[in-house]
Amino acid sequence: MSIARPAARRLVCLSAAAAPGAAAAPATRAPCQQAAVFAHQFHSSPQLSARRRPRFANVRAADMGLMDDKQIDQFTKEKFPKYTPEEIEHLRTKYSPEQIAALEAGEAAIDPRDLTVQGRLRVDPYTMPYIDDFAETQPIIDKRARNKEAPDPHARFMNMDEFTEDLIRWADKFQTGEVTGTLKTLADFVPEQYKKTPEGQWPGDVREAAHKSFQLYLEAEVSKQAGKDADDTAGPTDADILQYILERSAMTDGNRTTDTSLAHGLPSKVPGVAGLYKNAIDPEDKGLDDIGVYQDLKRRTGLSVAEILGLQSKKIVHRFVANQTRLGKVRKASVMFVVGNGNGWLGIGEAKSTEPGIAALKARLMAIRTMQPIRRYENRTIYGSVTSKVSGTVVKMEARPPGFGLRVPHRIFEMCRAAGIYDLAARIPRSRNPMNTVKAAYWALTHQPDPDEIAMGRGKKLVDVRKVYYGGDVY
Amino acid sequence: MGILSIVNACSHLQNASRARFGLTSIPSTKYNLRLVLAMHRAGLVSSVTRGGPRPPEEPSGTPSEADEAVTSANVATRRLWVGLKYWNNEPVLRKMTPVSKPSRLVTATVPELEKVARGFHIGQVKGLTLGETLFLSTDRGILEVREALARKTGGLVLCRVS
Repeated sequence: MSIARPAARRLVCLSAAAAPGAAAAPATRAPCQQAAVFAHQFHSSPQLSARRRPRFANVRAADMGLMDDKQIDQFTKEKFPKYTPEEIEHLRTKYSPEQIAALEAGEAAIDPRDLTVQGRLRVDPYTMPYIDDFAETQPIIDKRARNKEAPDPHARFMNMDEFTEDLIRWADKFQTGEVTGTLKTLADFVPEQYKKTPEGQWPGDVREAAHKSFQLYLEAEVSKQAGKDADDTAGPTDADILQYILERSAMTDGNRTTDTSLAHGLPSKVPGVAGLYKNAIDPEDKGLDDIGVYQDLKRRTGLSVAEILGLQSKKIVHRFVANQTRLGKVRKASVMFVVGNGNGWLGIGEAKSTEPGIAALKARLMAIRTMQPIRRYENRTIYGSVTSKVSGTVVKMEARPPGFGLRVPHRIFEMCRAAGIYDLAARIPRSRNPMNTVKAAYWALTHQPDPDEIAMGRGKKLVDVRKVYYGGDVY
Repeated sequence: MGILSIVNACSHLQNASRARFGLTSIPSTKYNLRLVLAMHRAGLVSSVTRGGPRPPEEPSGTPSEADEAVTSANVATRRLWVGLKYWNNEPVLRKMTPVSKPSRLVTATVPELEKVARGFHIGQVKGLTLGETLFLSTDRGILEVREALARKTGGLVLCRVS
């Protein structure tokens, strides 16, 4: 839009121009024309006086005689003829009835005249780089053909006899002439009627002639074998032997090739092996430990697998460590686990492995192995207050009354939960190193003061008044 | 010397106990004697014997015939021989810390002691925890905190033992 003639001005001009015209020629202007004119008013490009004509006139195909129907039909008949009955018969030998039906449907769907008039070989830049007749597969474009059969499910490794036979069969491919085993015998040199009878019953002249000709035959054979050059033998070459070693199937599948490299899985009961290997897993586990992860632990701790699996475990420290060698950093996962039975037993375990999952499993097993009883006052809190120190980490724990809860840092919280402690206060006033925190807390829990021991050491009688008043029913 | 001898006795007894000594000696003063006797009542030491520079033949607490009499000439060399206790390979007297020192004497009244005995901190004195005890110098002699509370008397807080 021109800046000199803003939109509002154009609207005013249009309405002013339309008012006298409406009376002068009311029916000559169609509404769409009006709309077109109206819309055109808002274009900034100048209005053309008439339809633009090309500067160089084109020649119509019909004017050149190219669109003559007769010529089109002739061209079509020449270039795109229908299948002759002989061709269809020949196709029937190559294709299944369904494929023939599909071919016929395709032929019927496309008019040959359209091929003549519209069919073009594309030359634009986006043309496919081939004219596809689907006669051959192109590995880049087409899916891989899988026209070979699946591997023989009943194939097994050849035994000695089958292997020998197979080897002979392979070697026979290279033999030329007669092998020694198929040499003619004496009986081949006698007339037909004496072939069945033994040599002793032959007439003398016949036997003599047979011996003579057999002798000549043998000499000829010997000279033929001797005259052969060693390099001239048509036996297997090194390439053949390599191919035999690498490619010949060792199974009884007749050297069948398949599209898949996957062999059939072994049957559940392998014949000949069934019963030879015993499952080392204890039937007492009731299938809880089929892999045998907990067998060693079971023997060490005396716990059953069900009890081991019932323990509460929690990964409380997880970090990645690296051993710097001259070959680079060897990274491992270092995991610390806490395990408890929720009723006064607690263990911590630490393990490293390149696989985090294995490290976690090892740490958990180690934690179960190191489980120790934790002394608990009234099965809910600890005795007195304990302070422990590992490196720069100090953990202070104090017993608390019933209902106080676990007001402790999160790692100590997990330990308390696993051990079955419900009322506790703990502080880590100095370094809060995760590993040392756990170690110090474990030391503190396992080294609580024992009031009975203290009383005995001082020679005093000790009575817990909480267990005396109200019949001991204090919480 | 006053309270200083108590402070020194605390350190010495703790060191001797940690060194697993069976018998050790501290200077023989009335203050020290009353403290170790109070500890003996509390069961923290096995015996207290007055003697000379040599360990007594029989640390039973009663002076034997061979002990020489205390005179003004030898009074400076008198020692208190204290038998230390052990239970389950652990010293009964694990820790002995002075509370009052010559530059700061700490006293506690009966209401304060009641709270301290229950484990609450009062001023300079931290609350008692499991197995801890407090020795006070009162006008009824040196008493453990529970003895002092039974007699309803406060006093100078000497040391805490556990």
